[in-house]
Amino acid sequence: MNKNVIRSVTMVSVFFCLLWLVGLGWAVAEYYGGKPEKIPEKTKIEKKAEKKDGLHIVAIGDSLTRGTGDETGKGYVGVLMDEIKEKTKQDVQLTNLGISGQRSDQLKEQIQQTEVKRQIQTADMILVTMGGNDLFRGGQGLLEFKEEDIAEIEKKFLDNMNFIFQQIRTSNPKANVFFIGLYNPFSDLEEGKEMSKVVRHWNYQSAELSAAFPKIVFVPTFDLFELKVNDYLYTDKFHPNKKGYRLIAERVASLLTW
Amino acid sequence: MNKLIQNEMMKLIAKKRLIVIAIIIGILVAMFTYAQFKEVERQREKLGTDDWRTMIQQTIIDQQNRISSARISDEWKQQLQIALQQNQYYLDHDINPSEPGAPTFMRIFLENSIELFIPLMVMVIASDIVSSEHSQGSIKLLLTRPVKRWKVLLSKYITLAFAISLIVAIAGILSYGISGLVFGYKGWGAPVLTGFSVTDAGLDTAGVKLINQWQFLLMDFGLVWFVAIVVGTLSFMLSVLIRSTAAGMGVMLAALISGAILSNMVSSWESAKYFFMVNLKLTNYMNGNPPPIEGMTLSFSMLVLLVWWAIGLFVSFLVFTKKDVY
Repeated sequence: MNKNVIRSVTMVSVFFCLLWLVGLGWAVAEYYGGKPEKIPEKTKIEKKAEKKDGLHIVAIGDSLTRGTGDETGKGYVGVLMDEIKEKTKQDVQLTNLGISGQRSDQLKEQIQQTEVKRQIQTADMILVTMGGNDLFRGGQGLLEFKEEDIAEIEKKFLDNMNFIFQQIRTSNPKANVFFIGLYNPFSDLEEGKEMSKVVRHWNYQSAELSAAFPKIVFVPTFDLFELKVNDYLYTDKFHPNKKGYRLIAERVASLLTW
Repeated sequence: MNKLIQNEMMKLIAKKRLIVIAIIIGILVAMFTYAQFKEVERQREKLGTDDWRTMIQQTIIDQQNRISSARISDEWKQQLQIALQQNQYYLDHDINPSEPGAPTFMRIFLENSIELFIPLMVMVIASDIVSSEHSQGSIKLLLTRPVKRWKVLLSKYITLAFAISLIVAIAGILSYGISGLVFGYKGWGAPVLTGFSVTDAGLDTAGVKLINQWQFLLMDFGLVWFVAIVVGTLSFMLSVLIRSTAAGMGVMLAALISGAILSNMVSSWESAKYFFMVNLKLTNYMNGNPPPIEGMTLSFSMLVLLVWWAIGLFVSFLVFTKKDVY
């Protein structure tokens, strides 16, 4: 075998051996030494995110936005997307920012995040579901049903939503916002009648609030679930099922303008 | 000594093992590149955009939803929490954690192969470097020369160290070269965050530093090399102890695979952290992934590995100089 080959392979090996040793030493030094310098946080959105062709839809909210209870996993947002895609030739981009179990105070936090703001800024349409977790607290609200409590919860909720809508309107004055109202999943139960009253009041106040802002549309769903509520509910008797979501999606779809 | 090393290098090159290893790495890298490419394409299709901020935001939302689901274990929840905080940190500082390009691919490839793949490649060379002399009968020729036995073994060990350095280099060069065809060759200067530390309370971002990708890569390479050397030394020891190459390889393979499995399930068995195989994922300390067992740090893992390395080396030399060859 050629001696030169052996020699050169050996030289290359030695080189890499030393190089990796340097890397190793550096890794240890960097891990333990080295002062961290402050990394500036980007709070401002410098360049206005470039507007691309196509339709950008942003969905924020709770488990309804996620589609919990729909075995196909679409939720009303997914069904609505399908309908929009059928009707338009534009590219449709969906950003689903819904978080299961989210309450209005949490949404208030979320909406102030830089990236979420940026998403909202570029949106052509914004879908909001909110309030279910504030009011029902996973069914708990039904057991500890007190009118004064609910009045307080409702006031807080409306304050939060007011803030959220203001935020949305400042970052994006153009997009249509659809605020999906509450239905009463408990209407078949004993206290259902009383609960329905609460939900109606809640929805009324929400509609009033939405009306105070330009291009924010309150979408009622209460009536959809009023008769035969169990046909449209998932087995947890709280979230809509596939059929329930379809009802909501169709209602929103009928409001779309092009 | 020089002559001995030269002799060993000649054997190494003549065996063409390095070429086989290079081919294996090449094929795997090509596969991973394609998989990664498909994944990016799928995501783009699903989200309708290739804006990394949108993608991370979606990941964060997904993680939040998984955390809020009641059905996952506390540990898993904590891991998700840490990953989420890290993503949020990247997003808040407007830094793309996976800047597209070959250097990023290389980084991810290294981080994923440090535990099993690179050690396996090292084993291919290390496990028969001594035992093959037995099976071929050439050990007698080697030992009848007027050279001390420890010198013979040392020359073999040094050759092994060279070979390992080459394997790590081959992995780097091939992953860069092949993935660059698809992702482009740029991205050495991309910013990378390091210095996340995982505490009981979650992710601590107080010590986070911003460095260039090439710096991070060099560190990763150093850590990979260190792990490879330790694994190589242990295989080397087995190669001295066990005459059958296959048996030695089997033992090492079992250890490595058990390590990969153990790291996923030992968090309650604390003393498992003294095994070398659960300490192999050193790169995790650099990028802030939680260690398999609470309380493990870079220096701890390196110390454990060093102890195993020293024992391996000591046993190899002791046995090789003492044992009867017939």
